[in-house]
Amino acid sequence: MNAEEQEAIFRRWLSDHLGLMLKLVRAGAATPEDQEDLFQEVLVNVWSSIRAFRGEAKETTWIYRVAFNTTMAWRRGERRRRMGHETFLKLDTSPQAQPSHVDSSPGQEIVGRLYAAIRQLSKVDASLALMHLDGLSYGEMAEVLGISENYIGVKLNRIRKQLADQLKGANDEL
Amino acid sequence: MNFEELQKTWQAQDAGAKVTINADQLLKEVRRNQQQFRATIFWRDAREVGAAFLLALYFSYRGLRQDGWADGLVGFACFGVGTFMVVDRLLQRGKQPAASDSLKTCIEGSLLQVNHQIWLLRNVFWWYLLPIAVALGISIGCSSWHARNSGLSAVFVWVISNLFVALVYWGIYWLNQFAVRKSLDPRRQELESLLAALGNK
Repeated sequence: MNAEEQEAIFRRWLSDHLGLMLKLVRAGAATPEDQEDLFQEVLVNVWSSIRAFRGEAKETTWIYRVAFNTTMAWRRGERRRRMGHETFLKLDTSPQAQPSHVDSSPGQEIVGRLYAAIRQLSKVDASLALMHLDGLSYGEMAEVLGISENYIGVKLNRIRKQLADQLKGANDEL
Repeated sequence: MNFEELQKTWQAQDAGAKVTINADQLLKEVRRNQQQFRATIFWRDAREVGAAFLLALYFSYRGLRQDGWADGLVGFACFGVGTFMVVDRLLQRGKQPAASDSLKTCIEGSLLQVNHQIWLLRNVFWWYLLPIAVALGISIGCSSWHARNSGLSAVFVWVISNLFVALVYWGIYWLNQFAVRKSLDPRRQELESLLAALGNK
């Protein structure tokens, strides 16, 4: 694969899966600065991983793997090492950056609370919760994490309960 | 709201952010990251392996020039330590986990590397300090023996030399054990707990 092909794939992934990457980043880091830093790290790793992509896994499964592995290894303090280098990304998650209908919708408020609840989970549970909410099958989740589908079922029951406890009030039937 | 409704709300969410990506700058950053990584590895190897081989050359040269077999022995010990480090680096090179591996494979790979690093630093006395210490001890002993007619000053030089070597050795050993306690052990515990959370008990 030459550099042009790699760049073309990267640009396509960026346009097709930007929403997915952003969700994973928002769940992995709380503050806008950390989100921006983690997002940069994810993008760099996604770019570097493209040469190894043979199309045997789905693109989304691949991106989940890269993003989760990056999040596990990422440390807030590591942002320091990038200081002094020009940033290639501007990520604005402030309310002003969002359309007014999005900012005020009750769905958006629930989503915001969900992000906060997911960040309270352990890293592995947070990964599972994200994939579950995105509607991945047990098989796909097993492929991303490298564990058995049975174990995923057991864990998801516990995670749903944990999320329900944290979102109590808004989601009584959860 | 039940879980299915929550899922729908989640999946219908807006990206919730305004994103501006400078692709050219991103490519520069990727290249810079790769160059920085290669440079870090190169200078680490140059520092550790290069120092061992330079010392090996120096002591071998001294040994040949002055017909001092004890100096040659120190050179041989340094060469052995340098070779051990090179072989270890080569063996570990292929074991790096890839970012696109499954989470479990990636964590297992990282854990193997951390455990190996801990093993190296915990045993630094046996593979690094001891071989050179034995050779140095013999070399200092020989020098002192040759200067035995100088009386007390020879004993003084012998004591000071040994004290200096012991102090340097203690510093190296302490620094290695400190690195294990401060950064590698916590990292290993973190990786083990992640593996346990993935059901690998």
